[in-house]
Amino acid sequence: MRIEISGLTKSFKGKGLALDGLDLLVPTGMFGLLGANGAGKTTLMRILAGLLRQTAGEVRIGGHDVTTRAGRLAVQRVLGYLPQDLGVYPDLSAREFLDYIGLLKGIDDRATRRRRVGELLEVVALTADADRRLRGYSGGMRRRVGIAQALLADPRLLIVDEPTAGLDPEERIRFRTLLSQLAGERTVLLSTHIVDDIAQTCRELAVLAKGRLVFRGTVDDLTRRADRRVWSVVTAGPAPTAGTVVSALPADGGLRYRVVAPGPPAPDAEPLPPTLEDGYLALAQAG
Amino acid sequence: MTAAFRYEFLMQVRKRSMWIANGVVVLLLGLLSARGREVGDLLHDPDAKATVTSVAVAINLILPVVYGCFLADRLVRDDKLGVAAILDVTPSSGAGRLAGKYLGACAAAAVPLAIVYFGFVALYAATSGRPVAFAWAAAVFAVVIAPAVLFVGAFALVVPLLIPAPLFRVLFVGYWFWGNAITPDAMPTLASSLVTPVGSYPLQELFGYRGPAGDTELAGPAPGAVFNFLRPEATPATAWLSVGVLLALAILVLSAAPALRARTTR
Repeated sequence: MRIEISGLTKSFKGKGLALDGLDLLVPTGMFGLLGANGAGKTTLMRILAGLLRQTAGEVRIGGHDVTTRAGRLAVQRVLGYLPQDLGVYPDLSAREFLDYIGLLKGIDDRATRRRRVGELLEVVALTADADRRLRGYSGGMRRRVGIAQALLADPRLLIVDEPTAGLDPEERIRFRTLLSQLAGERTVLLSTHIVDDIAQTCRELAVLAKGRLVFRGTVDDLTRRADRRVWSVVTAGPAPTAGTVVSALPADGGLRYRVVAPGPPAPDAEPLPPTLEDGYLALAQAG
Repeated sequence: MTAAFRYEFLMQVRKRSMWIANGVVVLLLGLLSARGREVGDLLHDPDAKATVTSVAVAINLILPVVYGCFLADRLVRDDKLGVAAILDVTPSSGAGRLAGKYLGACAAAAVPLAIVYFGFVALYAATSGRPVAFAWAAAVFAVVIAPAVLFVGAFALVVPLLIPAPLFRVLFVGYWFWGNAITPDAMPTLASSLVTPVGSYPLQELFGYRGPAGDTELAGPAPGAVFNFLRPEATPATAWLSVGVLLALAILVLSAAPALRARTTR
């Protein structure tokens, strides 16, 4: 299910442009969307999910024009959506909440719905807590309920906005793996500012900045943007001022800084192989 | 619509605070009535219709204040809780969900009211040996109490899309007593009119209720009063018209909800 976006613009009254003439093609499979806070990722996701109307431009998903009511409805029938600011009803249990969403998604057969809810509670490891009110759930548990509701109707298009926020490392890895497994014949659009989530799951990605597309390519392409730009510097003095410090670890003789910079940030700086995060920072520096 | 009805009903009826608030109000009403020996008198009143109608008037004048306040967050809370985005991307009809939410929340709000009302009716029927009271009570509930619940429910769901829910609650309590309990000759009011939610017209014309002493004109033009254009001659036809106007206003207010929501979400 391809997503074709052309000239997509969204402006909010008094806030200026959130998306500025965006052109993007998202193929079937897993696709990452990176960008700083305020880059326009969530606005794009909300337009794709049919929650927001664009100011200008076109969006076609699987051939359906989402600017029309019929197009939006056709997309919503095959859509699983996990919003960034996910909420749940505190007065319902996880099982009841999923049953409610299942009904709204058109899973009318009671037995089918109950089976599907049970399967997904198992997938997100909430079976033991399924009949407890959501009021008592932790943030991570609520996030897992959100993941389960997104998968309820076996969606062909999955839009997930910051899905691993609030999850512990084990849950994060489990969910990333689940997304990769689901991606086969589906389109999974993963928006995040956690670069590692994309590095571990996506082959292709796009980077947004100030509502514009600043990169579209493979993870390797973006990683290569930092070739010969990643350095290791050990110093007991102040942190290097040239470039962007990625990390600082204790080492013999002071701290070992990992720095992304166009040239060596110190005379004794040693080159390092780049990661996707380095590539993302190099892109931001060039930007 | 049935899904929204079912779960909205479930969530509202599980609200412990709703039961506590209703319980406190009913207890106060009971204590006040007991002091005036009204309960004992009522239980032995030979006129079943007059008895169940007068109890309905007392309940319908006070308990809507409670459920009006409790329903005030039902629509805005979907956005506040962050659930709206999940609901809005489902292929379900927005109008159907709104109708289900409205009817489910109203039905849940009517449960404590029905328990109190039919609980009293059962006690009366058993004490006085007049089971016909159930039939009259059902009729009063359908024609007077249910339209009031639906009318109040529509405003309670929709107005907080325009103003904060706490402010709505304050204004609503003021409106309720101003628009229902004050006589038109005392000050300009919507009481005793077609749009009086306690049901002045149907109470008087369909159930013969004319106040506690039986000598008060509840409906119809009040000499010299403001808003008399909303007070046609009281007849059975205008009584049904009043029920229809209340329900039509509820539908009209509800139909504005999608546009009001879109104003804040898009």
